[in-house]
Amino acid sequence: MVPLIGLLAGILLGVVLEPSVPQVLQPYLPIAIVAAMDALFGAFRAYLDGIFNDRVFVVSFISNVLIAAAIVYVGDQIGVGSQLSTGVVVVLGIRIFTNAAAIRRALFHA
Amino acid sequence: MTGRQPAGTGPRTRAYAVDASMDLLNQILRQPIDPDYARVAQQRVAPVVRPRWFSGRWGLAAVALLIGAMFAVGAAQTTRSAPALQTERTELIDRVQRAEQQQDALRIRIDGLNAQIGTLRGAALGDDGTATSLEDRIGSLEPVVGTVPVTGPGLVIVIDDAPSASADARDRVLDLDLQVLANGLWTAGAEAVAINGHRLSALTAIRSAGDAITVDYRSLTRPYRVEAIGDPRTLAARYAESSAGAWWSDLARNRRMGYEVNDVTGLTLPADPGLQLRFAEGNP
Repeated sequence: MVPLIGLLAGILLGVVLEPSVPQVLQPYLPIAIVAAMDALFGAFRAYLDGIFNDRVFVVSFISNVLIAAAIVYVGDQIGVGSQLSTGVVVVLGIRIFTNAAAIRRALFHA
Repeated sequence: MTGRQPAGTGPRTRAYAVDASMDLLNQILRQPIDPDYARVAQQRVAPVVRPRWFSGRWGLAAVALLIGAMFAVGAAQTTRSAPALQTERTELIDRVQRAEQQQDALRIRIDGLNAQIGTLRGAALGDDGTATSLEDRIGSLEPVVGTVPVTGPGLVIVIDDAPSASADARDRVLDLDLQVLANGLWTAGAEAVAINGHRLSALTAIRSAGDAITVDYRSLTRPYRVEAIGDPRTLAARYAESSAGAWWSDLARNRRMGYEVNDVTGLTLPADPGLQLRFAEGNP
């Protein structure tokens, strides 16, 4: 319940306040969002498996977002930023799909 | 605690797999959730040592809030920057069009100034015998060189890509094809040639740049209309016999490119504005 309320409140806050992201951070926001989605799906699956732990979730979320952003940042510095962000999106995307499939199996038994 | 063990998160006791060196995708599939969840769940039997500063509930709420805000901000950012991109694009198009208009205006000004130069030259030469012969020479050379507009009978050849050009690049008109055509017209005795209204002179380049063919560094759009002024009795026949005529009838027959040759009585070709006076000598 807490995360759901938090999520909705966050979306509301973002829509209402419309904070502008600094120019420097803009390229990393989409990657951070994909990493956040991965953390979310992973957490939901862990929750369904009965092994959810809020501390692991918080730590894994923060580290995922930071590492994804760091990879893209390093890529930008050495000139392969777009390729590396593609790589990050592919890997996280595969994980998201796998987790979504597991969630679907757990929820609907199908 | 239902304790359903997720696949692959248990201790690594498997034998060394054959494809272990290419295990990346397998591992992503096998370990889609953070292995720490399983580890902590196993440790749960023992009391979890939790640092004093960390209150799980609030941390969770804060992170959820952060994720929600990230989604909203990301979406807002993208929708906000879309119109900005559009404006940038239209602005660029505007600038290109303005530059083209300016170029056209400058060309017109060049024509005017050239005419003025002609009159001034006539006045400066005076009207003695040498001057008249010089002016005659200038008058006969100018149309050939391309510094003045010319009128007269001639040929209009309209060529175009084949209908299948989008499928096969070989069915498109190339700069080489236009070069062959222009050279063929010169050989056939044309006195002035223009492509899509751009007069050809000895200094005109017909080249391809990107997807377009450029004449005098201005890109053309198809169909290409090649106009040539020459002797109406011989121009068409001599062109048809030339190697360019053979080249193009071959292209038209085998590649189905558009190719139309017509006799026209009153053609007007503009001057080539790219020509300039490079060498002048004072009369002692």
